[in-house]
Amino acid sequence: MRGLTLGYGVSDRMVTVVSKTRSPKTAWSWFIHAMRNRSFAVGITVTALVVLMALVSIVWTPYDITKLTIPDRLQGPSLTHLFGTDHFGRDLFSMVMEGSRNSMSVALIAVGVGLFIGVPLGCLAAAKRGWLDDVLMRGADVIFAFPALLSAIMITAIFGPGAINAIIAIGIFNIPVFARVTRGAALAIWQREFILAARAAGKSASRITVEHILPNIANLLVVQATIQFSLGILAEAGLSYVGLGAQPPSTSWGRMLAEAQTMMGIAPQMALAPGIAIIATVLGLNLLGDGLRDITDPQTENLAAHG
Amino acid sequence: MADPLLQVKSLSVAFGGRSVLCGFDLDLAPGEIHGLVGESGSGKSITALSVMRLLPRNAIMAGNIILSGQKLERLGEEHLNAIRGDQMAMIFQEPMTALNPVQTIGDQIAEGIRLHRDVSPAEALDMAARAMARVELPPSRYPLSRYPHELSGGQRQRVMIAMATALKPKLLIADEPTTALDVVLQAQVLKLLRTVVDDTGMALLLISHDLGVVAEMADSLTILQSGQIREQGNAVSILRHRKHAYTRQLAEASTHVPQWKNRGQQASGNALVSIKNLVKTYRSKRTLLPNSPEDFTAVDDVSFDIATGRSVGLVGQSGCGKSTLARLILALDTPTGGAVQIDGIDLGTADQSQLRRARRRMQVVFQDPYGSFNPRMRVEKIIAEPLHLLNRKTTLDQQREMIADALRCVSLSPDVMRRYPHEFSGGQRQRIAIARAIITKPKLIVCDEPVSALDVSIRAEILDLFAELNDEHGMACLFITHDLAVARAITQETLVMHRGKIVERGPTAQIMDSPQSEQAQKLVAAAPNLERALKKRLGQ
Amino acid sequence: MAAFILRRFLMLIATLFVASLIVFAVLEIVPGDPARLMLGLNASEDAIEALRNEMGLNQPIIPRYVSWVGGLLIGDFGTSYTYRVAVSELVTERIVVSLPLAILALALSTSIALPVALLAARHRGTSADTAIMTATQVGVAIPNFWFALLLVYLFAVTLQWVPAVGFPGWGDDPAGSLTALILPAIALALPQAAILSRVTRSALLEALSQDYIRTARAKGVAEGDVLWKHALRNALIPVLTILGLQFAFLLAGTIIIENVFTLPGLGRLIFQAITQRDLIVVQSVVMLLVVTVISINFLVDIAYAWADPRLRGQR
Repeated sequence: MRGLTLGYGVSDRMVTVVSKTRSPKTAWSWFIHAMRNRSFAVGITVTALVVLMALVSIVWTPYDITKLTIPDRLQGPSLTHLFGTDHFGRDLFSMVMEGSRNSMSVALIAVGVGLFIGVPLGCLAAAKRGWLDDVLMRGADVIFAFPALLSAIMITAIFGPGAINAIIAIGIFNIPVFARVTRGAALAIWQREFILAARAAGKSASRITVEHILPNIANLLVVQATIQFSLGILAEAGLSYVGLGAQPPSTSWGRMLAEAQTMMGIAPQMALAPGIAIIATVLGLNLLGDGLRDITDPQTENLAAHG
Repeated sequence: MADPLLQVKSLSVAFGGRSVLCGFDLDLAPGEIHGLVGESGSGKSITALSVMRLLPRNAIMAGNIILSGQKLERLGEEHLNAIRGDQMAMIFQEPMTALNPVQTIGDQIAEGIRLHRDVSPAEALDMAARAMARVELPPSRYPLSRYPHELSGGQRQRVMIAMATALKPKLLIADEPTTALDVVLQAQVLKLLRTVVDDTGMALLLISHDLGVVAEMADSLTILQSGQIREQGNAVSILRHRKHAYTRQLAEASTHVPQWKNRGQQASGNALVSIKNLVKTYRSKRTLLPNSPEDFTAVDDVSFDIATGRSVGLVGQSGCGKSTLARLILALDTPTGGAVQIDGIDLGTADQSQLRRARRRMQVVFQDPYGSFNPRMRVEKIIAEPLHLLNRKTTLDQQREMIADALRCVSLSPDVMRRYPHEFSGGQRQRIAIARAIITKPKLIVCDEPVSALDVSIRAEILDLFAELNDEHGMACLFITHDLAVARAITQETLVMHRGKIVERGPTAQIMDSPQSEQAQKLVAAAPNLERALKKRLGQ
Repeated sequence: MAAFILRRFLMLIATLFVASLIVFAVLEIVPGDPARLMLGLNASEDAIEALRNEMGLNQPIIPRYVSWVGGLLIGDFGTSYTYRVAVSELVTERIVVSLPLAILALALSTSIALPVALLAARHRGTSADTAIMTATQVGVAIPNFWFALLLVYLFAVTLQWVPAVGFPGWGDDPAGSLTALILPAIALALPQAAILSRVTRSALLEALSQDYIRTARAKGVAEGDVLWKHALRNALIPVLTILGLQFAFLLAGTIIIENVFTLPGLGRLIFQAITQRDLIVVQSVVMLLVVTVISINFLVDIAYAWADPRLRGQR
């Protein structure tokens, strides 16, 4: 085996290496470290609760919301009905649980669409530069001119309303967002010397993108994904509020608010329950994003390293 | 001795319980130039910021700072603002970022004038124009309405000096004012500072890591290490006697020449690298719009050979095209014209497998030991990166053995493989970069300013390592540098580059001792040199 | 500078062109036969054929596109199928509600956000900063139409200070019309102000960490002036970006908010048009909104060059 190795004489001068900072070794120790950040701790807890609520609602809700029990209608919050009931006597807490599933899945899929199309396009633009970069970025500009609501309006005018429209409309808007963020961050990494070193080692652009670019922008993409997720929740609520999103019999937070509007004078709890659910979810996601940014920001890392 | 202008008494600074400066004393007389020398982390910049009272909020400061009888440590912000810029001023290291990018240079100079003098905006601009003329930027050629991005680094540093000296403060603090500039610009800026001090009688606190710079300028000197004064007093006598071990270490490191066994004797006549009529022109984008910028020729008809096993220096001012030339040799960029041959392979016509072969024979080491590694990769993977250029398949064990060998070769223990780059110091990182470069046993290493970001003592160790690679393993090296001391220490041959052309080539010693071309003479004359400066001052 | 603006202007034209292609393709080509879609399943073949002729659907695609764009350029948006009046007339009637609302909301959010951001940046790290940041963090999470519902409940239903819904019209009652826009503008503006002040604060803090700020301090510039003269101007670039994006969101928000307050704006028009499948109106209003968003982005680009001299030299 010796023949394959460098075979240089071993120098007797050994430089002692003193470890300056200890890098986190496992996911769990990273998590413990991250929980010291208040934003992250609150954000991850709230987000986890909402996700849990959405998952549980698949198999169980406190009340069956497809059954109308008129005698129980328009009750205020109580121990039997945590958030009260609506004008058909349905349990608002159960409806919020059901709605969370719809809101979260629409926002999540839309983020997925943005990630899976936008990130490769952004990487491509940064790696190739030149006319391809120009074309992709001008294309992003055009799509930016269509806020999710406008796309949803056009799609609905042709195909009629539905939750799929909301996913497509929000997803389309997410594509240029991710493409731009990815391109900007990737371009900055491409300027670094370790990319030159990798090129000097004969690595191709695609291999450099996978080995060097993506690992270094992953943090940023995760943060952006949480932001787009929270914006998606808000957008979905807006779309289904005006009737461009989820349709009966399925429910969503936006639809609940649309129904609440006419009852505002006599049953404000109908607007409060879904509204607070939206705010809590969006707040949780935003805090999570802020926390992640603080934890992974190289600047704060540097500050920690240099005291 | 007259009353000191500035008196610093037992100044200590700590950040979050960590002491960075401890018991610092200094007396500075009007018209005196005091050199403050230390390596990174010695506390020299902290000293400057303490005197200006510009320390970050989380710093804790103790001690006295007395400027013309005023106890600065007791003054409030408002009072300090009246003194800053008027009685004391400061110049920073990085001219590219120290000026506000969205304000004209005239407005930036005039702002300070109007803060401290009761003058009209027109009068302030007038004074700004005079300050500009003093730093040899006559407003007829460099109008006050320019923005910082329209000026070069050297010009920006002059603007900084104009701004700091517009009101003729009694104390000027210059924190590494020339570190970001090449040697020729450095010499110009230092000369300018000297002239300003002589003309106005202000005191100058000159902070530097370079004993050579300080030796030429300073009347008195402080050597600082880890926040503590090692030596203080008359500059010439400190530099001549070098009583303290650390002073000696600094002085020796800055004039360090590695021990050679063969010194290029084993170099054969074969041309390892052969460059013929190489041209690289950056074309401006052609548009229909007027005022499209002109083409820029970075490398202009360059031809030379590097023999197997030779160590060659490529020196020149910043912007002369030396880094572009390096990129062309490394096949990281395609030339506009001419040819590069590596070990008989023409990079212009090579197919993929020939290109791989060529890449295997040449590797690269960059300047910035912080930017040249992917921070998310372990050392093991970083060093192994060029291994895929090898044709034969290697097992993981074999790879690991090769990495361990490369690490030992740069005097690092193979145990460091599993670590991440941020766990290492600058010098150690540069060793890792060298390990990465030598793992494919290349015949040529191209080094782009490989030691200019390092402290002098570490610089010496890295130069030794390069010398060893060249001397014992016969690797040819191309050193790109603006620092003649580096070229003198480890190269046998030197090429002088100016505006894209090679203007002089020859044995290094010959170029250093009797440069022929104007550019080479300029570079040699500008290079700070401790021994030469001492000799000159002792002769006075 | 002129070259910069010219180049941006050419890009504006190209973007508008592509955007118009998208709108045309989605609303006129994707449905296959727009006339059949508009009239529904029960329509007679004769009626469909008549509408086809009226809309010019029997022509080939390219002339159809050209005549549509040509019409847009001279303000001829076609005739609404359901209202039987020129779309341009409908749009003019409605835009005098939507546009003032969007502008009022933008003005309100900017005039709240900037002072708040400067205050937070000036007192960074103090409890005032923390309080502002917490409040804006919540503000960002509030959906504007939900906030609108609360405002209606509080000021119209409970306190009865303002009418809950409706719009008297500028000609009949200018003061009443303005009053009718106040609650919607606040509902739109506050969540946007929260975003804007967060972005502005972090842009200010970023600028404050730069070397030139230290230079300014070394000149003896006082803290307030450092923030106002040096940091703010440099922080403008990200702030302008967000302002441009916000205008697009405000337009979208306007459309939704008009539903809460039953304001007769473009939003109401477009939702009625969707229900009635009046594709001609949908197409015109969508295009109008897209043109507005693209034009605003063009203005933001020009503002960049004003804010940052480094961009002026670029082409």
